[in-house]
Amino acid sequence: MKYLVLNGNPYRDRKEMDQYIDRLFAGIKSAGHQVQAFVLRDMKIKPCTGCFNCWVKNPGNCIIQDDANEVARQYIASDHVILASPLIMGFLSSLLKNTMDRNIPLVHPHLEELDGEVHHKKRYDKYPVISFLLEKESFTDAEDIAIATGIFQREAINVRSSLGFVRFIETPVEEVLHAINIH
Amino acid sequence: MRLTFINGSPRGSKSNTGRLMDHFIKGFLETEDNTCEIEYLTKNRRSLTALAEKFAAAEDVIIGFPLYVDAMPGSVKEFFETLEPFMGKANNPAIGFVIQCGFPETSHNRHVEKYCEKFSRRMGCRYLGSILKGGCEGLDIQPGFLTDKYYQNFYLLGLEFGKTGKLDGIILEKLARPEHLTAENMAQVIPFINQELWDAQMEKNGTLDRSFNKPLLP
Repeated sequence: MKYLVLNGNPYRDRKEMDQYIDRLFAGIKSAGHQVQAFVLRDMKIKPCTGCFNCWVKNPGNCIIQDDANEVARQYIASDHVILASPLIMGFLSSLLKNTMDRNIPLVHPHLEELDGEVHHKKRYDKYPVISFLLEKESFTDAEDIAIATGIFQREAINVRSSLGFVRFIETPVEEVLHAINIH
Repeated sequence: MRLTFINGSPRGSKSNTGRLMDHFIKGFLETEDNTCEIEYLTKNRRSLTALAEKFAAAEDVIIGFPLYVDAMPGSVKEFFETLEPFMGKANNPAIGFVIQCGFPETSHNRHVEKYCEKFSRRMGCRYLGSILKGGCEGLDIQPGFLTDKYYQNFYLLGLEFGKTGKLDGIILEKLARPEHLTAENMAQVIPFINQELWDAQMEKNGTLDRSFNKPLLP
């Protein structure tokens, strides 16, 4: 299996998320899997401008030349992508959200019916499972987690994926490794 | 009333969000002495802190954005993050949202709507409500009988808001239709969007035969 971790922690001086990812990375590797991690704050990733060139001018390619293209390339080559971010104002970091927005070249502009709703068609035959690894804010409550998880479930459908797990870094690494293995 | 409209569309001043809100603002300004200031996030990317200060000093704020991957665009999220220092401050403005999406049903917008409501509460801002609208991609190429209806409702919503300071629930409900499409609707709408909106552009660009390209395959 091929795993990709997108570290969307924007804070260089807050180490908990980074250290957790290091331990998770080591665990995945020692289980005999391939794993790659990108630290998004060290990469150049501009926000999507909604130009749709990736759909109508140069199908499947983003016109913005920066590191998001390499992220998309590795994403589509993976079996399971772990999107990691502290919750900031109740949702994923803008760093991670901008990166996810830049992945739209991976789907096709055409719409089709999927379980009674309209969604984009697949461009590729296979999409990775996506999971979320989060860090709570001091004020995170059950409602925040339910709202964010609701959005993640939607995102998984719309990027033609399935949602693996949603866990917080207070969970023992072994438990997340177990969750990775069953998805 | 003093309204500040923050247009969070990554397309800046040429956006579907702005097209819809132009009509709302027109209605809003019908009431004497009402004023409206428009801020574009695209023009404020390097000065988000200044925009956050403006936000905190405002009276009524509406933040508009298109749905990007089931939530707010990353650039709008970045603005929300810069508002953290103002969380819970007295005299924060009242806030509302306009969330539009390209999908023909509004159900796609419901989860981020919940986020926006919670965000308002967390900020200590009185929540004005969220205007949700589906079917907004390519507003300029959609038939007039459809867009005139949307624009008229945005105008009426703005007119009413300008008088009462409230977003009219009945108009919000009208704009949010359809929440889901029937199988019959889907059979009509999907081929229409695929051909008239997407294939037409690809044909013009000479890319229709490469439409399903997979350039990122290993």
